[in-house]
Parts: sequence; structure tokens; C-alpha cells
Amino acid sequence: MDDPNKVWPTGLTVGESEELHRNIIQGTQIFGMIAALAHLLAYIYSPWLK
Amino acid sequence: MIYGKIWLVVKPSVGVPLFLGAVAVGSFAVHAALLTNTTWVKAFLNGNTKAVVAEGSAAGAPTAPAAKK
Repeated sequence: MDDPNKVWPTGLTVGESEELHRNIIQGTQIFGMIAALAHLLAYIYSPWLK
Repeated sequence: MIYGKIWLVVKPSVGVPLFLGAVAVGSFAVHAALLTNTTWVKAFLNGNTKAVVAEGSAAGAPTAPAAKK
């Protein structure tokens, strides 16, 4: 069943799917870090928890 | 990586734009909520130097005007 070269309904193999997903995860992490920085700057400008 | 095989069942040409679109819509909603529920975002966008100067001289620390809770 787990033939690495099997092409699934979406036209991808398991390797291609995981490669795509690794990039999506990395992009999300970068987005997260930028967002964290933005929140830090926003908190410095206007602390909303005080 | 537990969802690595998602793209075997979800076409990337559908899943990726959907994912990015959802993040964009969510981000827009949060920014809109902030704009309507805080005072400092609008003041910041207005960039009214009078308020910034007043804050600077009065309170010293650039704290935002008391946000109505």
C-alpha cells in the first residue's frame, strides 16, 4: 500500500506532498515570527494589558 | 510534521490559496476589530502630532490616551 512512487488523486506522490508541506510549515513559522515582532512593537507603543 | 500527506488528498492548487486566503481574512478581521475598538490605532493613523506632543510633555511616557474599555 505504501508505494513511494504511487501517484495519489491530487497527482502527487508522498514525497512531493511532504516536500510541499515542509515549505508551508516554514512559511508559517516565518509569518509567525514577523507577527510576534509586530505584536512586541505594538505592545511597546500601546500596552493593552496594563 | 503530522499532516505531510494532506496534499495527497487536497489539491495544492486549491488548498494553498484557501489557506493563505483564510489567514488574510483572519488578519484583516483582527485589524478591523482593533481599528474600531481602540483609540490608539486611529490616532496613530491620523498621526496628529498635536496629540503626540501633548502626550510627550504631559505624561512623559508615550502611553496612549486611556482607551475606553
